[in-house]
Amino acid sequence: MTDFPALLKALSEANVDFVIVGGAAATVHGSSRLTQDLDVVYSRSPANISRLVSALAPFRPYLRGAPPGLPFSWDERTIHNGLNFTLITTLGAIDLLGEITGGWQFENLKSQSIRLDIFGIRCLCLSLEALIAAKRAAGRPRDLEAIAELELIRDQQNRQ
Amino acid sequence: MSELDADKYRDPVVEAYKSGIDRTLIRENLRRSVEERLNDLMALQRFAEELQKAGTLEQRERR
Repeated sequence: MTDFPALLKALSEANVDFVIVGGAAATVHGSSRLTQDLDVVYSRSPANISRLVSALAPFRPYLRGAPPGLPFSWDERTIHNGLNFTLITTLGAIDLLGEITGGWQFENLKSQSIRLDIFGIRCLCLSLEALIAAKRAAGRPRDLEAIAELELIRDQQNRQ
Repeated sequence: MSELDADKYRDPVVEAYKSGIDRTLIRENLRRSVEERLNDLMALQRFAEELQKAGTLEQRERR
């Protein structure tokens, strides 16, 4: 199980700049679909990468699905040299995305996010409209049903 | 921002999926707070893990 509150708290308390996207963002907006991991788009600034490394280090991030023993260093250089990371931590699964389809990065997505006040912390989550658009842009067949649900949620919200 | 705006285009495949989605679940979820939704998600994850464990155990016992 992924401990969403603990992961969000770790990132937030370290002042990491990030936006919740993906299935967890869909849950925030009212989706009932099961997702196993926390997807976040993080800022690629050197200072933020440094904060991100410090925030997650206590939870021993490792490449999800990689064979045990595969060399992996959780440090600023690794994050700087990579972009998107699918990780397992002692708090559960987290995907760290430097950008999402369309080249959208934290700096672009920030203005298309809503501010959440949950579990005693404040963080950003991609807006429902932007989440629908991002999933459309990704063009993955498995997202089609998720898009359908998100559009129904939007319709329901518009009726309220 | 406009590039990420959901436009008015209706994808026929997405529209087809909508008929199979339980709208009562959506209405129920929208009545809950964001924290409740995330807590429900974690409970669902725990339940799925328990089911997987039970399924694996049952398969082993059958062999």
